[in-house]
Amino acid sequence: MSFFSWAWGWISNGANWRGPGDIPQQILAHLEYSGLALLIAVVVAVPLGVALGHSGRGSAVVTNLANAARAIPTLGLLILLTVLAGFSPLAWLLPLVVLGIPPVLVNAYEGVAGVDPDVKDAARGAGMTTRQQILRVEVPCAMPLILTGLRTSAVFVVATATIAAYVGLGGLGRFIVDGLASSQYGPVAGGALLVVGLAIAVLILFSVLSRVLVPAGLRGSERSE
Amino acid sequence: MITFERVTKRYADGTVAVDALDLEVPAGKTMVLVGPSGCGKTTSLRMINRLVEPTEGRILVDGRDALRQDPVKLRRGIGYVIQQTGLFPHRTIEDNVATVPLLLGARRAAARGRARELLELVGLDPALGRRYPRQLSGGQQQRVGVARALAADPPVLLMDEPFSAVDPVVRASLQDELIRLQTELRKTVVLVTHDVEEAIKVGDQVALYRPHGTLAQVGEPEDLLGAPADDYVRDFVGFDRGIRRLSFFGTGDLDLDTSPVLAGDATVADAVSTGAPWVLVTADGGRPTGWVPRHRLDAAGSATALRDLAADHCEHTFTAGTDSLRAALDAAVLSPAGQAVAVDGAGKTAGVLGYEQIRAAIAARAADGARGKDR
Repeated sequence: MSFFSWAWGWISNGANWRGPGDIPQQILAHLEYSGLALLIAVVVAVPLGVALGHSGRGSAVVTNLANAARAIPTLGLLILLTVLAGFSPLAWLLPLVVLGIPPVLVNAYEGVAGVDPDVKDAARGAGMTTRQQILRVEVPCAMPLILTGLRTSAVFVVATATIAAYVGLGGLGRFIVDGLASSQYGPVAGGALLVVGLAIAVLILFSVLSRVLVPAGLRGSERSE
Repeated sequence: MITFERVTKRYADGTVAVDALDLEVPAGKTMVLVGPSGCGKTTSLRMINRLVEPTEGRILVDGRDALRQDPVKLRRGIGYVIQQTGLFPHRTIEDNVATVPLLLGARRAAARGRARELLELVGLDPALGRRYPRQLSGGQQQRVGVARALAADPPVLLMDEPFSAVDPVVRASLQDELIRLQTELRKTVVLVTHDVEEAIKVGDQVALYRPHGTLAQVGEPEDLLGAPADDYVRDFVGFDRGIRRLSFFGTGDLDLDTSPVLAGDATVADAVSTGAPWVLVTADGGRPTGWVPRHRLDAAGSATALRDLAADHCEHTFTAGTDSLRAALDAAVLSPAGQAVAVDGAGKTAGVLGYEQIRAAIAARAADGARGKDR
């Protein structure tokens, strides 16, 4: 049997959609873990990236920080933290946050640092305070890139949140981990397929979000003359 | 009025961008700072609204020391226009123009109404207000930049190479527009350019910089052309400064020759009797239609009407009184007869002007340092 038939056989089985630990519950749990990790990553990385981008300095700091964070193996960090701190939320949350930060940080930095210098000069020359320059001009202009970073992070985090199951939590990883342990390929393939589906749903969500959040003047579609 | 008192800008690496600058920009006038790149003209401009902080000296804006004011408040009271417009790409044209009024606490509806008025003032259709900057041409964007700078009605306007990024035709129309606006608004304008033609065209006063932040000469444009302080100024204003200087000589009181001017129903015999080598034929209403040379008169029958010999159009004319001697000389050079055709405001022929009369007029005006700018 192929991957898809294993997966489909399991997903289409109505029994897996009912009862404790069923598919809907685990999808919700998966989104909860991912959402929390992404939220923390955003709260840390967006202000830092925007602040460094505004100052125009710290390009080396951002690059090194992002590369260092990327070099950390997520599963390795999870195991290390479990050994050090036991089965605390930190053990699964921190690796996901560390995974989520680099794309957000780099894109927020690049977005703000890359705003047309004439536009920045005009904002300053018009008498905007530093705060107004950042919030009214630089962040809106950087919004397409900021959202790109968010999207990348969201996909990474959603695809990787399966690791929560290693430390006894739920999420779609539950099916994969348990399936592997009991040599049942249906839940392994089905859980993996659902993760892929969720990641695609996140991509779609962000393309909708960028329609709402990217100012009309920055969208490429209505170029005239 | 803006006054620089021994203003110096020295960077940390020791480079001196502006060196003990003393300069006075009279209220309601346009002062153009011109010079080669790296001469400190832009730095001088940016010190007025403190985008660059002077190292030494004082800058007074309308009598108040700019360095003792809150830079944010200072900038809201000074209009600022830059080369590549710096329009905010995420805001509509209207909201771009309304920037400073909104910062000053104006209500959005009122600020947008004012923005539409300003768009009209700078020669744009207020309907463009709903568009975004990238939907406008370069020239239109630059006009929006000027409208934005004027929105809070500041007494002072700083313009940093405002017209350098557009093509020559658009540039000329933007320059004309600035001159028109200035006659209406009488702002104290400081404009930076590297283009001496532009400086001479739009400036009431021109400050010409040497490299490394000192001034070579400050004065009215015609002073720079007519009495350059030294070889540096002479070189900088260019090889045809003599011709350009003619732009400042008026054509109001010239002795126009009307003897070779004949109506279209006059005959060849009438034309021959003037003794002129060329006669100018006019249509009903006095519009010039063309020059006829003596040899064509001789070849035609003496009863022939002149209108049958002339073309129906005389391209190169100048308007006596409003055009400058430069336009008159240009018309003479382009005329087959070597004479400029002067018309009045309605296009009616006023007379003709030969090289000799133009030369005499130049000599007379140069001698009394003629004023009478043709603006």
